[in-house]
Amino acid sequence: MLSLITWSPLIGALIVLMLPKENKRAIQIVSFVAAGISLAASLWLIPQFDRSATAMQFVEKWSWIPSLNVSYYLGVDGLSFPLVLLTTFMTFISLIGSLGIEKRVKEYFFWFMALEVGMLGVFMALDLVLFYVFWELTLVPMYFLIGVWGGPKKEFAAIKFFLYTLTGSVFMLLSILALYFRSVPHTFDMIELMKIAQTSTVFDPRFQILVFLGLYFGMAIKIPAFPFHTWLPLAHVEAPTPVSVILAAVMLKMGVYGILRISFGITPLGFHWFLPALVVIAVINIVYGALCALAQTDMKKMVAYSSINHMGYCLLGIAGMTAAGFSGAVLQMINHGIIAGALFLLVGVIYDRAHTRDLSAFGGLAVKLPVYAGIMSLACFASLGLPGLSGFVSEFLCFLGAFQNWKWATTISVLGIIATAAFFLRMMQKVFLGPVNEKWADLPDMSPRELASLLPLVAVMIWFGIDPKWPLDLMNATVAHLLGK
Amino acid sequence: MQNLGLLTPELVLAGLALAVMFLDMVLPRSKSRWLYHFAWLSSAGVLALVVASLGAPAAHGTGTLWTADAFGQFFKMTVLLTATLCLLLGLDYKALPERHAGTFAALMLLSTTGMMFLISATDLLLVFVALELVSISSFVLAGFERGNPKSNEGAMKYFLFGAFSSAILVYGISMYYGATGTTRLIPGAAQSPMMILALVLILLGFAFKASIAPMHFWVPDAYEGAPTPVTTFFSIAPKLATFCALMRLFGTVFPAAQYDLTALFGLLAVLTMTIGNFTAFFQDDVKRLLAYSSIAQAGYLLIGVAVGTARGTEGVMMYSFIYVAMNIGAFAVAQAVGQAAGSYSLDAFDGLARRSLGLALAMTFCLLSLAGIPPLAGFMGKLYIFSSAVESGRWWLAAFGLLNSVASAYFYFRIAHRMFFRAPSEDAAPLAVGPYVYGGIAVAVVGVLLFGVHPEPLIAGVRASAPLLP
Repeated sequence: MLSLITWSPLIGALIVLMLPKENKRAIQIVSFVAAGISLAASLWLIPQFDRSATAMQFVEKWSWIPSLNVSYYLGVDGLSFPLVLLTTFMTFISLIGSLGIEKRVKEYFFWFMALEVGMLGVFMALDLVLFYVFWELTLVPMYFLIGVWGGPKKEFAAIKFFLYTLTGSVFMLLSILALYFRSVPHTFDMIELMKIAQTSTVFDPRFQILVFLGLYFGMAIKIPAFPFHTWLPLAHVEAPTPVSVILAAVMLKMGVYGILRISFGITPLGFHWFLPALVVIAVINIVYGALCALAQTDMKKMVAYSSINHMGYCLLGIAGMTAAGFSGAVLQMINHGIIAGALFLLVGVIYDRAHTRDLSAFGGLAVKLPVYAGIMSLACFASLGLPGLSGFVSEFLCFLGAFQNWKWATTISVLGIIATAAFFLRMMQKVFLGPVNEKWADLPDMSPRELASLLPLVAVMIWFGIDPKWPLDLMNATVAHLLGK
Repeated sequence: MQNLGLLTPELVLAGLALAVMFLDMVLPRSKSRWLYHFAWLSSAGVLALVVASLGAPAAHGTGTLWTADAFGQFFKMTVLLTATLCLLLGLDYKALPERHAGTFAALMLLSTTGMMFLISATDLLLVFVALELVSISSFVLAGFERGNPKSNEGAMKYFLFGAFSSAILVYGISMYYGATGTTRLIPGAAQSPMMILALVLILLGFAFKASIAPMHFWVPDAYEGAPTPVTTFFSIAPKLATFCALMRLFGTVFPAAQYDLTALFGLLAVLTMTIGNFTAFFQDDVKRLLAYSSIAQAGYLLIGVAVGTARGTEGVMMYSFIYVAMNIGAFAVAQAVGQAAGSYSLDAFDGLARRSLGLALAMTFCLLSLAGIPPLAGFMGKLYIFSSAVESGRWWLAAFGLLNSVASAYFYFRIAHRMFFRAPSEDAAPLAVGPYVYGGIAVAVVGVLLFGVHPEPLIAGVRASAPLLP
C-alpha cells in the first residue's frame, strides 16, 4: 500500500511525459488522477492505522542491493504517518493551484509529480540509502520548478537552493556511510541502527557527535535553521505559488522529520550533546525570523520569513525532550504545513490579480474582497496562534514541552510570539483596513478554483483547533516510545 | 610463446582491423559506409567473445607477457563497449570524409586493440608497445578533421605531449629494469630510491593517458578539436584501460597491503578532481566543458585506487562501467546538438527542452549521473567509491570527493539551465537526430537509469571479477 502511495505519482509523471504537449487537459487529468490515487490510498490507511502501536506499520521490505545490505524498506509510524497524509493532501491542494499554470504545462506536471514521489519516499523510507535517494530526488524537480516557472530572480534562486541543499546532503551521506561501517553487521537499516545505538556501545560518544553534526548539517539546511536559512526567502519568493506551497508545507518538514527520526533515534548521545546549541538556534529562528518578517514590505517574503519563525517553534519543542514538546513539534509541522500553504496560496491570489505583493500598495481591500479578507484573516490568526485555531494548540504544546527544561529560552521565545502577531496584524491592517485604494476598485473576489484549494485548508485549521485530540492521537504512542517511556 | 590462446579477442580484433584496411582498398567509394558497419560489428563481436569469457575460468590464465583474468576482461568489456558505441556515433557524424572511412574505422579498432593489450600486459615492454599503439592511432584520429584548424592544433598538442610522456615512461621502465633486472611486474621488489623513481616516472606516463593532473594539459585542446565520436572515445576508453594497467602495476609491484601509497594517489586524486571541476566552470564550449569534467571523473576513479582495498578496486570497476554509459550519453547529445547548430558553444543548447524535450531530458539524466545525483547510476558508483574511502578510514578523501561533486553540479547545471530556462535562439524546430545517435543515447540513458535503480547485477559482477591474477 505504501508503495502504491509513493509510486503512483511516478507512473503519472511517466504518462504525462508520453502525452503530446498541446493536450493540456489530458496532462492535468492524468496528474490529478495520479495524485488522487496517492491521496485516496493514504486516507484509506487512516482507519487501519493502529494508534496504540509503537512499531512500524504497513511495512514493506524487499532486498534491493543485497551486496551492500541495502533494502527497499518502507513503513510508517505515528511520526511519519501524519506527514505522509500532509504530503498527499498538500500536493493535491497545490495541484488545484497549479491549474493556473499556462507555460510549458507538460514539463511542469512531470516535475511536480516526480517531486511528490521524493517527498513521500523521504517520510516512509526506513533504510538510509533509500532515504538519501528520495531526499535527493526532491532536489532536481524543485530546481526546475523554481527555475522555469518562478519570478524575476528565479534562476539564481534555483541554483542557490540546489547547491545549498546538495552541500548539506553530502555531509549527511558521509554520516550515513560512517554509520554503515561502524555497525556490525554493516547495515543501512534505521531500525537496526537504532537498536544498536540503544543497546550497545558500538557508537561511542565521539563518533555519535561527529555523525550527528554531519546529519544535522544536512537537516538544518532543509529546515532551515539559523544560520543556514538564507536560501529560503529567495527560493520561496521566486517560486511559483503552488511550488512555494509545497516548499513551505512539505519540504521544510523533511529536515525536522530527519532530526527526530535519524539524529535523535540513531545518535542520541550526539543529540544530547547538541541540545544547548539547538535551543539557542530555535530561539534565534523564532525571534530573528519574526523580526525579519516584520521588516518586509513584500507579502510573500513576509510569509517566507514567518516559516523560519514557525520552524523555530518545532525546534524548540524538540529541544524540550518531553512528550508534550515532541507532540507539539510534530503537530506544529502539520499545522504549519496547512497554514503556510494557505498563506502562500492567498498571497498568490492577490498577486495574480494585482501583480504586486507590496504591502503598502493596498488598502481597504476588505470592502472589495470580503471572502478573501475573511480567509486571509483566519489563516493569519491561525498562524499567530489564536486559541481555537490549529496553530495555537501546537505552539502551546511546544512551549509547554520546552518550558520544563529551558525556562529562559522559552520565555524569550514566547516574547517572539508578539513579533509574530505584530507582523501579521500589520499586514492585515495595511491590506484590508484603512481607506480603499481606488486603484484596486474593481478587483474580483475569489474564483471557484481558488476557493476549492483554500476551503479544505481552512476546514482543517478549524478542525484541528477545536479537536486537536484527533491528530495528537495519531502520534502520541510513537512519541512516548521515542522518548523511551 | 606461452598461452597465446589467452589473447584470442585481441588477435581477432587486430585481424579485423587489418581486414578493414584491406576492404578499404577493394570496396568502391560509394559503399564506404559499409566499413563502419563492418567495424562496429567486429567490435561488437569481440565484445561478445570477451563477455562470454568473463565467467569462464577456462579462458583465464597467465602467459609470458600477459595475463587474462576476470579483472582485465571486465575492463576489456568496457573498452569494447565504448568502441562499438563510438563507431555507431561515427555513422551519424557528417564531418568525417567518406573516402577515409576505412582508415578511420581501422584506426579506431587498432587503438582498441592496443588498449586490450595494455589491459592484459604484465610486462612493461608489452605495456609500452600497447600504449604506443593506442597513442599513435589516437594522434591520427584526433587530427582527422583536416579542414578544421582546431583539429590540427589539438592533434599537434596531443602528439607533442604524447611523445614527451612516452619518453618519460620509457625512462621509468629502464630504471625499473635497472632496479629489478627484469621488465616483468614482480611483487616485493626492494624499495630502493631507483625503484621509487621508476614507478613515479611510469605513473606520470600513465597519468598522461588517463588525464590525471598534472599531465592533463593536452586534454581540452585535443578533445575540442577531435571529431566528436573520437572525443567520446578518448574520454572513456584509453582512460579506463590505463586505470586498469595502473591498478595492475601497483597492485602487483606495491600491493596496498604492504605499501601505503594513499598519500601519493590521494594527492593526485584531489588535484585532478579540483582542477577538472573548477576549470570546467569557465568553459563556454560544451566539448571543453565535458573534457574538464572527464578529468574530474578520473579524479574520482583515483580515489578508489588510492584506497587500494578490495572495495576500492570494486568501486573503480563499477564506476568505470557506469562512466561509459553516462559519458557516451552526454557526448552523443552534444554531438546531435553541435551538429545541428554547427558549433559546440553552450549557446547551441539554448531552449533545447522546448525543441526536443526527450533529448534535453536524456542529457539532464546523463549530466546528473555524472554529478552523482540519485537515483541515477553515477550515484551508485560514487557511493561505492566513497564508501571504500570511509571504510578504510580515509575520511578526507571521501569529503573531498563529495564536495567536488557538489561543485561539479554547478557546471553540469549550466547546461541544464540553458536547455530548460533559456528560449531557443532562432530555430525552434525539433532537432533532427540520426538513428545511430538515437540508439547510442537510448543505450546510455537506459544504462544510467537501470544501474541507478537496480545496481545489484553490476555490483555482483564486479565483485566476482575484482581479484587480480598474477
